[in-house]
Amino acid sequence: MGAMRPRLTPRRIADDVFEIATASPGAAQALSRQLRTEGLAEDVVPGLASVAVRFDPAIAAEIEAWLMEQAEPDEIDTDPGAIIEIGVAYGGDHGPDFESVCQQLGLSGDGLIAMHTERIHTVEMMGFTPGFSYISGLPEGLNIPRLQDPRPRVAAGSVGLSARFTGLYALAGPGGWPLIGHTPEQLFSPERADPFLLEPGVRIRFRSL
Amino acid sequence: MMEVISAGVQASLQGAPHRGSRHLGIPDAGPADPVSMALANRLVGNDLLATCVEISFGGFKARIEAPSTVAVTGASGDIHVSGVAVPLHRSLQLTVGDMLSVDVPRFGARSYLAIASGFAADMAFGSTSTYLPAGFGGHQGRALRAGDTLVAQGLAKLDGVLETPEAFRPVFTHSYTLRACASGETSVLDAISRKALFSERFIAGRQATRMGLALTGPTMKLDSDGMMESAPVFPGTVQCPASGTPIVLLCDAQTTGGYPRIAQIARCDRHLLGQVRPGEAIRLLERTQEHAADALSKKRAFLADWLGDATGELF
Repeated sequence: MGAMRPRLTPRRIADDVFEIATASPGAAQALSRQLRTEGLAEDVVPGLASVAVRFDPAIAAEIEAWLMEQAEPDEIDTDPGAIIEIGVAYGGDHGPDFESVCQQLGLSGDGLIAMHTERIHTVEMMGFTPGFSYISGLPEGLNIPRLQDPRPRVAAGSVGLSARFTGLYALAGPGGWPLIGHTPEQLFSPERADPFLLEPGVRIRFRSL
Repeated sequence: MMEVISAGVQASLQGAPHRGSRHLGIPDAGPADPVSMALANRLVGNDLLATCVEISFGGFKARIEAPSTVAVTGASGDIHVSGVAVPLHRSLQLTVGDMLSVDVPRFGARSYLAIASGFAADMAFGSTSTYLPAGFGGHQGRALRAGDTLVAQGLAKLDGVLETPEAFRPVFTHSYTLRACASGETSVLDAISRKALFSERFIAGRQATRMGLALTGPTMKLDSDGMMESAPVFPGTVQCPASGTPIVLLCDAQTTGGYPRIAQIARCDRHLLGQVRPGEAIRLLERTQEHAADALSKKRAFLADWLGDATGELF
């Protein structure tokens, strides 16, 4: 038997949502998988540092009791699979914030591209809209701010940076991340048997097109 | 069966919202005003969340191609059958060649057209609802346009005439008072902003989409830099970007977001968001989570007298 895992401390953030803080994106993924195995909640959604549980307020007490009985899961180190290569056209029309991100980071254009392409990145979370992925792997200590106001429309395939993450916009739509480039990859195709190109845990190398 | 002659600003097929797929980035979709959609379905003998046409800001016309029982509810405006005014909230017996038109509404934003047995629609991720940004569900994953043929999925004819009793007809005006709860990051608002959020009047911004609408009015100021890890958001979440103009999310809400979540519209009043037009007034009334949950069960119980016990699935 292993040591007792800590119990959850859910915080109610709406009449129909409890949220549980987690130590990492991986812990949020593991906890949300565990909670989804029981069909009590309407939705169990991982964030980067939390898991939200949406429920019918008519059973709020039952949901709260259920969550408080749960223990934090162990994070399982899954076998890292193959590395997927994602081509990116940096800068230009589809990377309108490329220059300003370079300035913020004190890098030349080539320097930013090198920083982005020389590392192995990891998909931490899918979310926002179908196919959008939050990808870690930028150097430690980066904290790139979001735009003051989200853009009403961002092109599908846009590549953004925010905080310490790269984000891939699978769909056209509003978006608040500074954009540095564009990928031609089909990140989400509802007609494919597996509509999602990426999933949490997948490793990625970006290649400059 | 009917042929769309004009789809207006935006019309799409909507049925039950997605449940249990938000962790994949799949939003709820479904009707922006589920109560109005349920009222339309009730008049034609359908399940409350059977697939309907959601019509935004009127301007919808269709020619009937087979005998059909239909009903229109939601935004209040004129509807006509072949030029003759007919009432909202009543089942209509239409025959081949009839022209149904839903005019630009005077109050409210979205109308719901139901047909007996429900409209046939594409199924995606367990729901027939159209999610326009990703192009799945509904009619080929897209908004309806002139020339589209809409087909009932079963017998489109139902005998008799039903009318929504007066007490159950929602009344829309140009101002909305919505109950709301504090949320995950309400505490990052400075004291003046927090007070203003739950007492001042906001005006709905020019963009009122199924994804969200901006609340212009007092600018929200944060005690922090507003940076946070992306966290789950839902229909009804009020986000606060750095500009200080809050955005309230609707049925097509993204599944996660990185802006502070400063409030959550209570589930009992969320259906009203689907009827807000640009320029209309919105006021948020702060309620505890328990009070909001209680208000929901009261509203469900009230509606159950007309809509039946399935109101729990509506909202």
